[in-house]
Amino acid sequence: MSLANLTKPWAPMSYGFLDASAKRELRRKMIKAVCVPGCQMPYASREVPMARGWGTGGLQVSLTLINPAMRVKVIDQGADDSVNAASIRRFLARVSGAPTTLDTLDADLIQSRHRIPEEILREDQVLVLQVPNPEPLRSVQPNMSIARQMHGDADYGRMWLQLYEQIVRSGRVMQGASYPSMVNGRHVMTPSPIPRWDVPKLHMARHLTILSAGREKRIFAVPPYTRVEPLVFDDVPYRVEDHGGLTCYRSGATGFFMNEIPQGDGTSTYEVSDSEYGVKAIRARDGEVVAMGETWYKDGKMPQ
Amino acid sequence: MLTTPTADAAERSANATFDALLWALSRPGLPRQLPQAGEPALIAALVDRECHVYAGDPLLIPVVTQCGAKLVDLPQADHAFLGGLTEPELLRQLRCGSDLYPDDGATVVIRARFGTGAQVRLTGPGVNGAVDVQIGGLPDGFWARRAEMIRYPMGFDMLLLDAAQVIGLPRSTKVEVL
Amino acid sequence: MAYVATRGGERAIAQSERLFREAMGQIDMTRVAELKAALPYLVDRVMGEASLYDEDLAALALAQTGGELYEAVLVLRAWRTTQPRLGVGAVVEQGTLFTHRRISAAFKDIPGGQVLGPTLDYSHRVLETDVLAGKPFAPPLVDPATAPAPAYQPSVSAWQAANDLVDLPLSDKVAGEAIADVTREPLLFPSKRAHTLQSLARAETGSVLALGYAAMRGYGQAHPTVNELRLAEAEVMVKHPNGTAFSAGRVKVSQAEVVSKQGEKLGLGFAATFGWNEVKCISAATLDLNAKGAPKGSATEEEFFLYHTEGVEASGFCIHFKLPHYVTFQSSLDAMRDAKAKQVKEPAE
Repeated sequence: MSLANLTKPWAPMSYGFLDASAKRELRRKMIKAVCVPGCQMPYASREVPMARGWGTGGLQVSLTLINPAMRVKVIDQGADDSVNAASIRRFLARVSGAPTTLDTLDADLIQSRHRIPEEILREDQVLVLQVPNPEPLRSVQPNMSIARQMHGDADYGRMWLQLYEQIVRSGRVMQGASYPSMVNGRHVMTPSPIPRWDVPKLHMARHLTILSAGREKRIFAVPPYTRVEPLVFDDVPYRVEDHGGLTCYRSGATGFFMNEIPQGDGTSTYEVSDSEYGVKAIRARDGEVVAMGETWYKDGKMPQ
Repeated sequence: MLTTPTADAAERSANATFDALLWALSRPGLPRQLPQAGEPALIAALVDRECHVYAGDPLLIPVVTQCGAKLVDLPQADHAFLGGLTEPELLRQLRCGSDLYPDDGATVVIRARFGTGAQVRLTGPGVNGAVDVQIGGLPDGFWARRAEMIRYPMGFDMLLLDAAQVIGLPRSTKVEVL
Repeated sequence: MAYVATRGGERAIAQSERLFREAMGQIDMTRVAELKAALPYLVDRVMGEASLYDEDLAALALAQTGGELYEAVLVLRAWRTTQPRLGVGAVVEQGTLFTHRRISAAFKDIPGGQVLGPTLDYSHRVLETDVLAGKPFAPPLVDPATAPAPAYQPSVSAWQAANDLVDLPLSDKVAGEAIADVTREPLLFPSKRAHTLQSLARAETGSVLALGYAAMRGYGQAHPTVNELRLAEAEVMVKHPNGTAFSAGRVKVSQAEVVSKQGEKLGLGFAATFGWNEVKCISAATLDLNAKGAPKGSATEEEFFLYHTEGVEASGFCIHFKLPHYVTFQSSLDAMRDAKAKQVKEPAE
């Protein structure tokens, strides 16, 4: 054994920023995450050149999967041009040479914060969701050791109780985004702060979804064709945001998740939250030939 | 400003190998092409000095030690490269993790032959309905032993290798011998 | 009309970064050297929180971030994490530390003596405003001691253990590669001893002080007595692959032992970090002292204080709230409006 065996020629930066040992650890943990869907797997979560809480978990997964032929799309709150999406996209391209795209249909890897695109993802695409808080039980049990025990015991009674209390008090489940969902009938997970609108897109999907929380050092996954069922009571069905009937004031698209834009006169107008879908809808409306993918929602409704 | 780094041969191989493994484990039962045949590329992509490895085939021992991993007996191994398996009882020694930390269950690589031997039906996450696949080269009693050992979410995850093809069998997959 | 100014985001972030960097001006070797010489305690703090001992890199991190401390630590940690681990240094024992300062509040005098060393403890905190009027402040020179204190000192707890006053923790036989490294594996609870001490060593000084202070004020079970506080230099001994042990140099370290009466024996809390940082070590040792048997969810419970003193994670999460959250907000609004509409339709009985 010599020093030369232990090291390699000096380079200012490894391919994809992360060094080989960091990538191997992530690979090992991704395997476990896929094999036990919805179960939070602890990982070392190295520092990356971005602040914790800004997508460092998703970034580490993307940096491990990336290669020079992989086309990458990055979105934040549905928008490709959101400042942090732009920053992450620029970083991914800079450290990997991978081409970037805004079009969901063109992407091999999609890193997203808080949205799943409206066009159905294919089986050759991977969705990486950034996760601020991986623990669905946090609101009923802030202590992580106890929460882990509860997952181990499949002890979700307190979670159900919280939902029940909301129905009693407010007539409905008040959970906005991050709707707790049962994965493969065993582990309750947070789907990350995606709106309720997006949760059914994970159920029996064709694509693989990897969810990664860098600050909290947990990684979990939803493989293709895996049951993802929002926690609901038999007599109080799951309800997505009431956006099915709204129309985008810019593109004219109807039946998708919208951003509400408050107006000076006290009313609101709406625009499609999936920004690139909106762009394509405008271009199609203006007569361009645009490839529009099949969408999960049809006429504002998710087919059962 | 730093220039874009280029991927060396090791990085390219590890990246492509893992891409195939992730795909295979996400779609149990569907064979996937690896960039190279055999265990060494898998070892290089997954294993390093943070790992405890069992090598059933003596030829793999130098490959494992080169990565800096510690060679251990089967019950201590987080990665087990069993080679060709003749003794199903070996499965009894595999690490299955705990309810608290299912990730402590081992990743197991076994050589097999696809398209011959027992016909099995797979269901579970990653499988659209059910998939039937013929997997040979495994000892009698293999599937029964696997089923006994896995107490979901405790269990181990298998990668079956036939030359440059891999089939993933996560612990979440139910296997029915037809 | 374009849907959004598609590239607007990229231009905006590029320009905002330029605004920040323009204010710092050009960074060169001179500035880095100046920072290193003028602000050693700040450089120490950055090295400690980044778990990387390199004064030049730490000073560069400070220069690049304009002294925005959380950013400086992050940029240094992000550099550190990409570096290969070539080896593990030999164990450093207290008695082998080249000691500059070692004091004990537990005894009037201790074997080896009270060594004050460099400190502002007894200084009058007066601003030297004359400097601003053009009159440089030239500190008076130190008079060399006639009988210098010995450079190597035993620990005070060793004396207490010999007198059956304290049970020292069992000597940890884990060595070399087998030592758990919190930068290479996640912190899980109950925490490994190595993870606890490493986490405290790289914790954010202000956060450790806040929680340590809470414990000192009465939110902990144990009131600390500073058994010993030491500022020292540690020899880093590493082994060449050919088997030769050699010194890679010395690093500044600080460590604190705090004790309190626990039954008929003393309870012992310990902390150490890179660089000289007394407040952090005393606070961290106080938390360590209080951790045993602390109620779940209390400030002195290990899970609570280790998670919440992690400066890079805490500061990152804090500033992430500046990111747009309009999707989650929209989702909540929808539930609120619907619940409100229900109440109008079905008035409470």
